[in-house]
Amino acid sequence: MKSPEEKQILLIGEILYATAAWRSLSALGRLRQLNEGNRAKFLADCRSGIYDGVNAIARTFDSVELTGRFDPELIEALPKSLRYISHNGAGYDQIDVDACTVKGISVSNTPGAVDASTANTALYLLLGALRRIHVPSTALRAGQWRGAMGLGHDPEGKTLGILGMGGIGGALARRAAPFDMKIQYHNRRPVAPEQNPTKADFVSLEKLLRTSDVISIHLPLSDRTRQFIGRKEINMMKDGVVIINTARGPIIDEQALVEALESGKVFGAGLDVFEKEPEIHQGLIKNKNTVLLPHTGTATYETMSSKNATGFDDGGRIELAESEGLHFDSILPLT
Amino acid sequence: MAPKSKILLLGAIDHQPALSAYNALSPLATLVTTSATSPQDFLTECTRPNSPLSGTLIIYRTFASISITGPINSSLIPALRALGVRAICHNGAGYDQIDVRACCTAGIHVSNVPQAVDASTADTALYLLLGALREFHAPTVALREGKWRGEPEPPLGHDPEGKVLGILGMGGIGKNLKAKAEALGMRVLYHNRREVDGEEGYRGFEELLREVDVLSLNLPLNPSTHHIISTPQFNMMKDSIIIINTARGGVIDEAALVYALDSGKVRSVGLDVYEDEPKVHPGLLENPRVTLLPHMGTWTVETQTKMELWNIDNVRSMLETGRLKSRVPEQKDLPYD
Repeated sequence: MKSPEEKQILLIGEILYATAAWRSLSALGRLRQLNEGNRAKFLADCRSGIYDGVNAIARTFDSVELTGRFDPELIEALPKSLRYISHNGAGYDQIDVDACTVKGISVSNTPGAVDASTANTALYLLLGALRRIHVPSTALRAGQWRGAMGLGHDPEGKTLGILGMGGIGGALARRAAPFDMKIQYHNRRPVAPEQNPTKADFVSLEKLLRTSDVISIHLPLSDRTRQFIGRKEINMMKDGVVIINTARGPIIDEQALVEALESGKVFGAGLDVFEKEPEIHQGLIKNKNTVLLPHTGTATYETMSSKNATGFDDGGRIELAESEGLHFDSILPLT
Repeated sequence: MAPKSKILLLGAIDHQPALSAYNALSPLATLVTTSATSPQDFLTECTRPNSPLSGTLIIYRTFASISITGPINSSLIPALRALGVRAICHNGAGYDQIDVRACCTAGIHVSNVPQAVDASTADTALYLLLGALREFHAPTVALREGKWRGEPEPPLGHDPEGKVLGILGMGGIGKNLKAKAEALGMRVLYHNRREVDGEEGYRGFEELLREVDVLSLNLPLNPSTHHIISTPQFNMMKDSIIIINTARGGVIDEAALVYALDSGKVRSVGLDVYEDEPKVHPGLLENPRVTLLPHMGTWTVETQTKMELWNIDNVRSMLETGRLKSRVPEQKDLPYD
């Protein structure tokens, strides 16, 4: 039997928590890493054959700084040996999947693992935005107790509209149900009962926009969903609506959102993602009714290591990294 | 015809539906207020001959009115009794500002506002729980300062899934919090003076402290709960525990808490209440891991309105039936006339 050609696995970016799992892949191929440089250099190196023989790429969200987007130009330049791109994250809008498909490159993401922590972030933002938590929490730290704190609102009895009923949307619905929120959702298609844990009503996009007190966005970013929530959509919403976004910034027209916050049309917004992050619209930063987080939806030890831990002493960190089931395994051929 | 009884409003009623309900009491009683602005003024007004407050049957009071009257204790209660006061209706769940025992002695009935506050207080506890587990404070500040996540990046937080939440005090707020925490995938245990019918997960006080990853305080402040959590209790807890307090600051020894945070025994806290509020211990203010709010557990339009309406119901019930709708449990054996 002929021995197979040596496989190479290229890591673009850094693995911070699953280092042992990464090293264990050396049984399957030679491990290489790219953690500096820029798009021009990466394209030139690809074209000059430096990465020839690479069979699989594992990449992180932040590594877009090293390569730019995996758009048709970049995908065209990738080595012919490449069969797999494994993206560490749920949202893979940085990768042009159609272009990969044409070239016969399989793309994987990490769904499921992020559902709970992203839904928790959405719930935190939902409660914070309803309560207008920014003014009092800032005043207190400045030694001014409540400052110019305004009354907030209770979630109880309000209607929550979930836009995009995937794993994260369903996880948020389950969390919001004990707050006595009425939950409805819109999705391209109604979802199967097992994906709809609270038996939320499926409604049209227009009905969701017109009748929800709180709208939480859980769509993937694509050409179809870019600027999905713009002026027209915001105008259809109830006066005093609260908008939550833990998906991707460009799904909302940020300028339109700022204007609606300033006019009072939108009561508050809880945002973990931004149109041009890490740059943030000054109108959002200056607004007192926004609760803003720097894209930390999944930033927990447990989620980063996909392990359902029951304790969290610092010593556990090594153990977590050792036991991480790296998503990469799921697509790399084991023979 | 005998002159109408008086109702004394101490503090403000802010919400229109409640204002209407309060004014609708005027055929039944004369609605009066005080011009006093300090406890000393108020005592003088109560005790002077021909006091305008004479003939007051019922007092409607707010948490903030303590700045006008001081605590309702044995130095004030006899003067209130001399005015004719038979009931004090407190607009809040926690009534530690009122010496209930001294009220019993004087034959003054006391009511509070339970239930109406359960959901919003539990919401606040859950917000603090997520904020403390995830350590959201530092990245929030960095972002507003234009530094995105800050330098260095903040440490990773923790997920609630699979962690054990201990609820100390399983009343209405504790039960409400339990359901919300279970939806996050937490396992919930509790301690209470008595095991609650139908609630699984009862533990002894010390057992609870030893077993939980997150501890939420949901018990009233009274002489037996003052500093119920102090150094010996911290020593029983797991390392890196998270503590949430939406009850009253005085149930925790705040200096001991700051020490436990600085030593790393306590990883983070989420606090809405403080021992000497509005003063907050500098060791808390300076800590980037903790999530702090200025006593705003029930600070919503809906809950504040519900509370005011509930408290007015107590006033009306006393006027019409001679009984309070929600008298405090310590007075269950105090006879009405």
